[in-house]
Amino acid sequence: MTNAPHILVIDDEPQIQRAIRTILTEKGFRVTTASRGEEGLTLAATNEPDIIILDLGLPDMDGVEVCTRLREWTQCPIIILSVRDSERDKVSALDKGADDYLTKPFGIEELLARVRVALRHSTNRQGAQSKVVKAGTLTIDLAWHIVKRGDEEIKLTGTEHKLLSYLASNHGRVLTHQNILTQVWGPADADHTEYLRVYMRQLRKKLENDPERPQYILTEPGIGYRFIADE
Amino acid sequence: MNPINMRTSPLLSGLFQYLLAIGLIAFVTSVFIFLRDGLDTTLIALLYLIPLGLITAFWGLVPGILSALVTFLIFNYFFIHPYYTMAVHRPTDVVILVVFLVVAFVISQLVGRLQTSLAVATSREREATQLYELSTALAGLHNDHAIAEILAKQIQDVSQGEMVELNITGQQPFAFCLPNTTPPTRAPELTVPIQAARGTRGEILLWKAAPDISSGEKRLLQTFASQGALALERARLAQSESRARVLEESDQLKSILLSSVSHELRTPLSTIKAAASSLRGNEVSWDSPARVELIAAIDDEADHLNMLVGNLLDMSRIESGVLKPKREWNILPEIVESVLGRMRHSAEEHKLEIDVPESLPFVPVDYVQMEQVFTNLISNSVKYAPLNTVIRIHANVEGDEMHVQVSNQGPQVPPEHLERIFDKFYRITAADRVTGTGLGLSICKGIIEAHGGRIWAENVPDGLAFNFTLPLIWEGAPPPQLPMDSELE
Repeated sequence: MTNAPHILVIDDEPQIQRAIRTILTEKGFRVTTASRGEEGLTLAATNEPDIIILDLGLPDMDGVEVCTRLREWTQCPIIILSVRDSERDKVSALDKGADDYLTKPFGIEELLARVRVALRHSTNRQGAQSKVVKAGTLTIDLAWHIVKRGDEEIKLTGTEHKLLSYLASNHGRVLTHQNILTQVWGPADADHTEYLRVYMRQLRKKLENDPERPQYILTEPGIGYRFIADE
Repeated sequence: MNPINMRTSPLLSGLFQYLLAIGLIAFVTSVFIFLRDGLDTTLIALLYLIPLGLITAFWGLVPGILSALVTFLIFNYFFIHPYYTMAVHRPTDVVILVVFLVVAFVISQLVGRLQTSLAVATSREREATQLYELSTALAGLHNDHAIAEILAKQIQDVSQGEMVELNITGQQPFAFCLPNTTPPTRAPELTVPIQAARGTRGEILLWKAAPDISSGEKRLLQTFASQGALALERARLAQSESRARVLEESDQLKSILLSSVSHELRTPLSTIKAAASSLRGNEVSWDSPARVELIAAIDDEADHLNMLVGNLLDMSRIESGVLKPKREWNILPEIVESVLGRMRHSAEEHKLEIDVPESLPFVPVDYVQMEQVFTNLISNSVKYAPLNTVIRIHANVEGDEMHVQVSNQGPQVPPEHLERIFDKFYRITAADRVTGTGLGLSICKGIIEAHGGRIWAENVPDGLAFNFTLPLIWEGAPPPQLPMDSELE
């Protein structure tokens, strides 16, 4: 049981702590809880958890601040918990190094999915990343820049390739507009959301079976995009 | 009147009066000298009273009395024997002289006093008229700025000063100047406080050359100031009264909100409570299909509750003016598709017809808020339009605006309600017939208006249509063209 992934939950609401602890313990994780930012930072340093679940609304300090201070010394995946309508906070936490977010109230499948993705990415950080990403009928070869639907190769432009590679190598994770723009177009174009809108539409048309109901490239309203691949 | 003329003219006109008086006396005297031998001394004395009376009547008391003295000396010199001396020989001449002096003085006095009191009466009448005009102009004004403007104009008209400045204190202090916007650098000649019952409300500053401000003018300005103070006070009372009324109305709204919200919140809560307690109490066997249904009900109703709370939050944000759209160049079809993707389940019993062409330009909108607008408009259509009818979404560019229409084949709305359906808690149907907080459309209105657009409803031949516009110009720039067009195939 000691090898079970260790999750630190920093949230000041006892009900939320209780719910998350119950569910995650049931799923075989070890769970530690903290109800204040300072306490959370201390526990993160002493316990070295595998994942941190962090609420943005803490009584003693701003959640974004906790995120920044954690990122000063650890690459441990951080999943943000926050209420609806705080897109700005979510985006700034994500841009400050958080890995993903969940909007309260959330379903348990969502929580578990985020935890799984976070764990996979923390292992990927240590080991070699898989070079081929599969999503439904799609096969994306990151090393050879080849994208196939079934056996048929899909032709992409250079920028589309760069964009898809970045999305696919981070599959499951939310990527903010700014993050994608900086990675694919460069820091100078970080504010040109319209580039992203156009290319995402273009990519969906080429990749999705029904571009109007995307399965692979999901929009996270007000935040960014998420690429869904097979686990 | 130009100011230089104004400042020098009193001196000139005073001197001019005396010169005229002397001239008149000289003229009369020369006529009398010419006729001296044919006229009796007494008659001459009597005749002299005529110019004296005229002088006093035209130019006032002081010139009158001075002229009387001068005339007395001239009369003695030219007309009393021996001529060309000031000596008097005959006792009758002494009497004539004394009587002349007394009569001349008395006439001057009488006429002069009449003149003065006439002048006072006239100026009083003018003051009364000006005051009347001021109070008429001020009546019914409930705005500090309008009051200051009228007051300054009237003061300027009355005083004919160089410049009038009004400094109004209070919650939003401001200054009003006439006829220019910047006062002269020197200190004002006259400062009158605007004194109201509950403290000073400001002051009147008047720039006008010193000799021109008479005590009458000062008094008048003071009266003007107190009229102004009254008007300002009245305006404040009216404002606080309307504020009280707004508070009362918002109180009423709050109680409507509370009753509506508690009703709305309780419905999903009851479902959740019933489902959860029956699952917990083992009333439902583990493998019964009812179990799945109860769990689904808890999940759905929790989402419903979340949506209600979200609506309330949005509304309070719109009301307090903190709903600031985070605008970005967005693609309208993407927003519409994303909403439809999420609503497919709830709108599955209606036919959706989407006419939002790819070729539309970018729109500068907040993605999340626009999703909210489409969600609310579509769910409103789903709620009211009969099953299996068509809900149509259409968008096109009109000038420098995007025009979007969401229409349904639901019941039409009486014309008098078309505008009011965007008011919060406004319902045409009874509240218990349809679920919802009654906030959906007013949230749409708040969001569209925060984007600088307009929203309205209209009856169309087969139903009801919601229309809204979105400006395409953002921060002075038109929608960007597709970047790197050549690379996109």
